[in-house]
Amino acid sequence: MTVAETLLVYAGIPLAIVLVLALLTLRPGADRRPRYKPGQPWNYAPVWYEPHPAATGGHGPAPAHGPAAVPGSGTAALGSSMYPEQPGERALESGHGVGPAVGTGSGGAHGGATAARLPHPAGPLGGARGTW
Amino acid sequence: MTRAPELNTPRTGTDVGDTLHPRTAEAKLDEVFSFRELARLDEALTMSSRETGLRFTLYVGELRAPTRAHAEELHARSGHHPTDAVLLAVSPGQRVVEVVTGAGAARRLPDRACALAVLSMTSAFGSGDLVGGIVNGLRQLSDQAGHPAGLRPH
Repeated sequence: MTVAETLLVYAGIPLAIVLVLALLTLRPGADRRPRYKPGQPWNYAPVWYEPHPAATGGHGPAPAHGPAAVPGSGTAALGSSMYPEQPGERALESGHGVGPAVGTGSGGAHGGATAARLPHPAGPLGGARGTW
Repeated sequence: MTRAPELNTPRTGTDVGDTLHPRTAEAKLDEVFSFRELARLDEALTMSSRETGLRFTLYVGELRAPTRAHAEELHARSGHHPTDAVLLAVSPGQRVVEVVTGAGAARRLPDRACALAVLSMTSAFGSGDLVGGIVNGLRQLSDQAGHPAGLRPH
């Protein structure tokens, strides 16, 4: 074994391994996004997430969700995103709306402008509010 | 920053079906949250809705000036039966979180329980943990709402 070979085996190979590992760990993350810090502006478009359609239908197959289940099979579309809920379903439902809210409890205190636009009055609303 | 929230219906967190259900407005699905965070949110929403029989939806974005009124307006549009719906509206830009419960949901989720969940959420948001706060708040709300007898599996 010559000096060059010794150097190559005992210094070159460990160095190469170390370099490869360092590159793997220290390279900038491809999907690194800025972390939210309180006080920063929020420059994203609003998003609205809902549970998967069969979620509230109990544990059996949901009968009411036509497009949300695989047609011709009794399987519920639990967690499936292949057949998302169609917006037309809700448009149909809102056609025969209920009258204006009768109970004006805690939620009715916000004036008629809001209440007039409600497609589905849900009675006296509850909830909570917080800031940070 | 002042893009008007013209969302008419909520959507599922992992709804990626662009080929079947084209959404032109949404450029990038993981613009706000990463896919891993989206999966956590989706699981939390789905599991808490399935366990309680209530319908939990989550809105993240700007709320108009009377934030409570805007949140209640969103709540009214959140599904077929807003009576049993619970809306979590988080506006990180304004540092406001609103929980709106319908009349039926409010019977199982009293305002005090919502306030407690909001408190735990705001403490997480204050340290910059949006997704963790939302998931914990959802867990707290669904624990409080309990499991109705009609939904018991066997």
